[in-house]
Amino acid sequence: MNPQGAHALPFTVGDDTGSGDIDSRGQTVLAHKVIEKIASQVASDESLAGGSSGGFLGIGTHADLSARPKASVELSGNIATLSVEVGMLYPVPLRQATEALRQRIGARVTELTGLEVRQVDIKVSWLTSDRGDGRGRRRLL
Amino acid sequence: MRQTAGTLNRTLLAILGILVLAAGLALLLQASGILPTLANTPPAGRKVVSGDLHPFFSQPSAVSVLLVIGVLTAVLALVWIIAQIPRKNPADAYRLDDDGAQGRTICDPSVLATAVENQVNTLPGVVGSSAMLRGTAEEPDLTLKVTVNDRADVRELLRHLESSTLPDLSAALEAPLQRRRLQIDVSGRTQSTGIVAHSTGVVLK
Repeated sequence: MNPQGAHALPFTVGDDTGSGDIDSRGQTVLAHKVIEKIASQVASDESLAGGSSGGFLGIGTHADLSARPKASVELSGNIATLSVEVGMLYPVPLRQATEALRQRIGARVTELTGLEVRQVDIKVSWLTSDRGDGRGRRRLL
Repeated sequence: MRQTAGTLNRTLLAILGILVLAAGLALLLQASGILPTLANTPPAGRKVVSGDLHPFFSQPSAVSVLLVIGVLTAVLALVWIIAQIPRKNPADAYRLDDDGAQGRTICDPSVLATAVENQVNTLPGVVGSSAMLRGTAEEPDLTLKVTVNDRADVRELLRHLESSTLPDLSAALEAPLQRRRLQIDVSGRTQSTGIVAHSTGVVLK
């Protein structure tokens, strides 16, 4: 029986199962948080999306393109619906950027977890024109 | 920046004006004796109600009707007064997905407005700005208020807004701006946001 907030991965059975019962091999369980972290890490690593960092208990956080976006997952059997809250560079074409992000998250989460990602909801929560890489830029005060 | 009830006021005042004009014309016609001839109304000066009106208005039904009319008039007047409060009337969250079958993409207009403000605030001479987006993601409207100091080159500012700020917003939304309202105020404040400049100097070791 799965603990609440977890998803049991189905076994992938090869051509030659060898000896022994499949059920006796045990069960791999992914917690919701694992799926959420995979989604947010994919969004952070493989796109220009960012998250929030700093602060205490959610107070005083600031936009950070190098931080992981916030992600949440709803599971219904083997079907996942993801929600991601991201920040992006301004001005990027938001439709194209978010669509690419959606495709990427869906493909990678499916690839890494075996879940079928049916929907990825994206909320753009902030936009910044500062890449934050500090390359050749100085702020004159 | 804020929307007022101008159209509502004009419409209601026009209706009230027509009603008052009609009543005035009727009184004039009655007083001149034309209306009694045309509509067979009692001539001016004759009492149409004989006796005491007090028993009529003391009936419970008459009191109720007058009360309802009074309350209705008061509510309508209150609604009209409340409509005078200026409203920002911002847009709802912009939907940036085509059909939503694979998920929704939502961006609050205030997020885009903040990005525009941050961009405008770095322009020379700008001491503050306020942006408001209305309309839809496909047909956005921008209202931009820019406060500059007396050292700002307004022509250069306008050129920069036209060539960079507005196209950037259109590019982000992937839709042309339907309407653009720009208000420029002059203030004695000094610029405090700083300017991002590319350094081109030589690194000394």
